[in-house]
Amino acid sequence: MNVQKVGIVGAGTMGQGLAAAIAGKGIDVILLDRSEQELERAKLGLELSLDHRLAKWGITEAEKKSILSRIVLGTNLSLLRDCEVVIETIWENLEEKTDLLLAIEQEVGPEALVASNTSTLSITELAVQTAHPERVIGLHFHFPVEQRNLVEVVRGLKTSERTAEAAFRFLEGLGKQAVQVFESPGFITTRLMLPLINEAVLIYAEGVATAEDIDKAMKHGYGFHIGPLELADRFGLDAVVDMLDALFHETMEPRYRPAAYLRKLVRGGQLGTKARQGFFQYDEWGERV
Amino acid sequence: MNILVLNCGSSSLKYQLFRMPEENVLIRGGIEKIGSDDAVHSFKTEGPEGGESVSTVQILDHREALSLVLQAVTHDSGVLAGVEEITAVGHRVVHGGEQFALSTLVTEEVKAAIRANAELAPLHNPANLQGIEAIEDVLPRVPQVAVFDTAFHQSMPPEHYLYPIPYVLYQRHKVRRYGFHGTSHRYVSSRVPFLVHRDLMNLRVISCHIGNGASVTAIQNGRSIDTSMGMTPLEGVMMGTRSGDLDPSLQEYITRKEELTQEEFLSMLNRHSGLFGISGLSGDMRKITEARAKGSARSALAFDMYEYRIRKYIGAYVAAMNGVDVLLFTAGVGENSPLLRRKICDHLTYLGLELDVQANESAKGERIISTPSSRVTVCVIPTNEELMIARDTQLLVSGLESWRK
Repeated sequence: MNVQKVGIVGAGTMGQGLAAAIAGKGIDVILLDRSEQELERAKLGLELSLDHRLAKWGITEAEKKSILSRIVLGTNLSLLRDCEVVIETIWENLEEKTDLLLAIEQEVGPEALVASNTSTLSITELAVQTAHPERVIGLHFHFPVEQRNLVEVVRGLKTSERTAEAAFRFLEGLGKQAVQVFESPGFITTRLMLPLINEAVLIYAEGVATAEDIDKAMKHGYGFHIGPLELADRFGLDAVVDMLDALFHETMEPRYRPAAYLRKLVRGGQLGTKARQGFFQYDEWGERV
Repeated sequence: MNILVLNCGSSSLKYQLFRMPEENVLIRGGIEKIGSDDAVHSFKTEGPEGGESVSTVQILDHREALSLVLQAVTHDSGVLAGVEEITAVGHRVVHGGEQFALSTLVTEEVKAAIRANAELAPLHNPANLQGIEAIEDVLPRVPQVAVFDTAFHQSMPPEHYLYPIPYVLYQRHKVRRYGFHGTSHRYVSSRVPFLVHRDLMNLRVISCHIGNGASVTAIQNGRSIDTSMGMTPLEGVMMGTRSGDLDPSLQEYITRKEELTQEEFLSMLNRHSGLFGISGLSGDMRKITEARAKGSARSALAFDMYEYRIRKYIGAYVAAMNGVDVLLFTAGVGENSPLLRRKICDHLTYLGLELDVQANESAKGERIISTPSSRVTVCVIPTNEELMIARDTQLLVSGLESWRK
């Protein structure tokens, strides 16, 4: 049978994007977060992003309604009971994610797939305390989910063949392109993109070129869809620093050490698109001003 | 004989059971949301003891859905005593590519060809094939027939079906015009001799299938020689939510100006354009006509553009055939909008066409709506694709039986 109900824990930007993309395929979605306040924000975010897609003619009014009607928001993990797939998308923190996976395991049925959207943490380590580490897998979706087809399917030490196959089938149903990665810090994409972003920040901070020109060079020189600095803004500069830190500590490789200027921007609250100010400025839709 | 006609979509299916050759519909029904635990199955039986039924059940795939259909036509409705009374099954298949100019009995080769054409109709052909394979599971010995939407237009000559782009694209990827609504155009044109009392031979017919999607076909000697839809159903006249013909350079300009992805651009042309895009109100002709009558300027504009673009195609096909003898209207809008038919015909008087206003406005069903002195006979012919599929199925299966004897 096709997957009919998917749980998403963590209703931030990624959780919202996943919820809309999955509900858009006719699948029911449970979207959870810790407080009513977070849920209100998520609801608003969902509405705004669907309105935006409607304004860009990507969906119809009827589809917007049906997508929203398939997403149930809540704070209680017991809502995950009959979900066949649960994906956590909370902040990159090992203890919190581990605790969450244990709690999810208490709720879902024995056949359910338990996935983490982590881009830097170890699936093996996240799964080690769970009763069934063989069904824990990494599903690294890319942002914005609706426009980025790639998903890295990350196998931890104990992830079973069956779990990996189920994940590939699920992603095929979502119309995504999946690649298999055996656990390693940063997988493929993060490991390649973060040093690139970091180097772009260094080029900017050293006064070698303007932010516009750095992005322009990579767009027109290498066919990038968006340049590395805008990409950093869209990830969130705080998230970029955290991911670089994690890679740096994990590998002890100096090439992952976050640029000092990046930390400075984060300390100054210029977190990128979500703060409407990073290397570039953005409007409330997240469009470049 | 009893023939089951199936139209399988990716998560839905529609069916009708015909008694042939009487052409009586015994039962018709549909299933929505296949693949979920709250699929909806509804059916309706005909005749004095006719009844209706709607139920919500778990249906995991097409095979289960078809088991339910078989149960509905036997135990649930009592229409048939058992499934062995089903002589054959006819399927609507959207894309037959260049392989099929006629309906055909389903064999392994035919299935492979339907699969190969899935690239040209990714939403439809795989679902159609699922339906065929599901019937093989539940009714293993019953012959099946595939009836293609594109088949009728395979008679188009290359100078009509090719696009004026590098020829190698046709050779490499079969980029060409295929046309759609073929079963409908074929059915309505087959009714023409009964209405005008002339053989289809030596007759030049322009058939306007105007529903949610719309296409105009030029039919000469009973064969389609040109049709307005192309490689996909987006080409041709303006439709409810589809743009129809436009300048391909719009894509580069609009996607750049509006920062759209390719998907968004295509979604705009398919679902946010046509009557809906211009009126900003609806893609439904009934709503547009109402709003126009109440003075909505944009609805009036949408209506005028819609009418004009259909009329241009009619003019083009008059030129293509060096004249026209019969102009016919069918499908939702074509059958039910006297206003649209009148507006189109008002500007075709140069052809010697005279509309019978009374017949156009008030009468119902299959009929002639031009005056006896009109040089072009104008008809309204309600379409019936399911019946056409049943007829083709009957014909092929009878042939099979006589061959076996």
